[in-house]
Amino acid sequence: MNGWEIFQIWVIAFFTLSLFSFMYKDNPFYKVAEHIFAGLSAGYYVGLIWDTVIITQLWNPMIGGKWLLFIPGILGFLMFARFSAKYSWVSRTSLAFVMGVTAGIFLISQLHGLVLPHMKATMQSLGGGGGFGAAVLAIIVVVGVIATLIYFYFSKEHTGALGVTAKVGIWFIMISFGAHFGYTVMGRVSLLIGRVQFLTEDWIGSFTHLF
Amino acid sequence: MSFWERMEKIDRRWVYLMVALAVILPFIIPAKFPISITPEAQMLYDAVEALPDSCTVMVVFDYYPSTIAECEPMTRSALHHMWRKDCKVITLSNIPLGGPSMAETVTREIAPEYGKVYGEDFVNLGYKANYVAVLSGMGTSIESIFPTDNSGTPLSELPMMDSVVNYEQISFIFEVADNAMPDYWVSIVNAQFGVPMGCGTTAVSAPKYYAFVGAGQFVGLLGGMKGAAEYEILIGKQDKAVVGMGAQSLVHLLIIALVILGNISFFVLRRQGRRRA
Repeated sequence: MNGWEIFQIWVIAFFTLSLFSFMYKDNPFYKVAEHIFAGLSAGYYVGLIWDTVIITQLWNPMIGGKWLLFIPGILGFLMFARFSAKYSWVSRTSLAFVMGVTAGIFLISQLHGLVLPHMKATMQSLGGGGGFGAAVLAIIVVVGVIATLIYFYFSKEHTGALGVTAKVGIWFIMISFGAHFGYTVMGRVSLLIGRVQFLTEDWIGSFTHLF
Repeated sequence: MSFWERMEKIDRRWVYLMVALAVILPFIIPAKFPISITPEAQMLYDAVEALPDSCTVMVVFDYYPSTIAECEPMTRSALHHMWRKDCKVITLSNIPLGGPSMAETVTREIAPEYGKVYGEDFVNLGYKANYVAVLSGMGTSIESIFPTDNSGTPLSELPMMDSVVNYEQISFIFEVADNAMPDYWVSIVNAQFGVPMGCGTTAVSAPKYYAFVGAGQFVGLLGGMKGAAEYEILIGKQDKAVVGMGAQSLVHLLIIALVILGNISFFVLRRQGRRRA
């Protein structure tokens, strides 16, 4: 481990501990770390977009002879008109283009990629190869989907059979929320474990190189 | 003030301290908890195992540095697994902050173990803005989207990319993400180009993506640190995720105990309140 690596580890450790210090109470170390992170992220992002999009995908191909790229270039430039109250309407051309293309792409891809395959997966055969257990699970899936959809059907008052089905739907939603919450706890704890692994292994490990 | 009243008014910083101790202690005194293999992780392992040797695969680093603890063990395990099978690996990222450099660091660290050479056995395409255009465009030509690799070397100068034009030459994609990117990989790449995909995701996103396994869109799934630990066990290379699961299990036990205590406290105080009334 060389001096530069040790310096990097100490900088990371300083910001990690500064951010953790907020758990005790708000303090200047936390604020400094928070502001540096926000500024650094914004600066890095601008630099990255400038290099990977403007230079690599627009400027270099254009000077290489692909002059038609000036059209998307102009459309992109028009977006900056939003900063002017007088000329902000100009940016609508670019926005309309972006919205049209995005809607066109997503409509088809979401339908074919998400909606239809998931509908198909819901309609499982009860006589499939999975036996009795798989048949029960298939019925639970169908009941869950229908009951949840009915819970979100608001055009008729939830009374009678509709009300009972909607209540079944709430149970399915609550079980789903429970699973999501459990996984969220696991995810957040994992982030903490990652930081503690860094502090106990890398940071404390660097002490041996210093002292 | 009774015990239950003190419990009700406990300063949350005591809870933070208990959680911190539960996380730190297993690293000082190693705690081993059993880790069972879920069918989804086994399916992912089997799918990679079934790939033809020396085929070309993609490993996608669609996660921010903040979720390294969950996601990096997945990409590391996948690289170990794929390089054991002598696969050619293309890495890329749709995450501007950290994605390309994490791909660079992880691949360069593991490659020497398998004698892999950059440009011949693996290539890091880096990051490109606008994921919809990137994912769709690579279906026609990867080089049109990524004319150069992450360090600016033209793809035409990298021998491995001579035989790779578009998704037709890609046998498998392993997407590791901490956001909604798997949705787009599924709806654009898997649905339109039919490339088989596996997914590793943070625990927060995992419940959503189990449905994608059920629908056959992912061949398998790793959910959070637990999923990463399962994959480490399956490839026989136990590392950070397995070690982290000791702390994970201990914190879960602590949280369950606190939830039970909190509920008992709530009901006891409610009963006492009724009696007083």
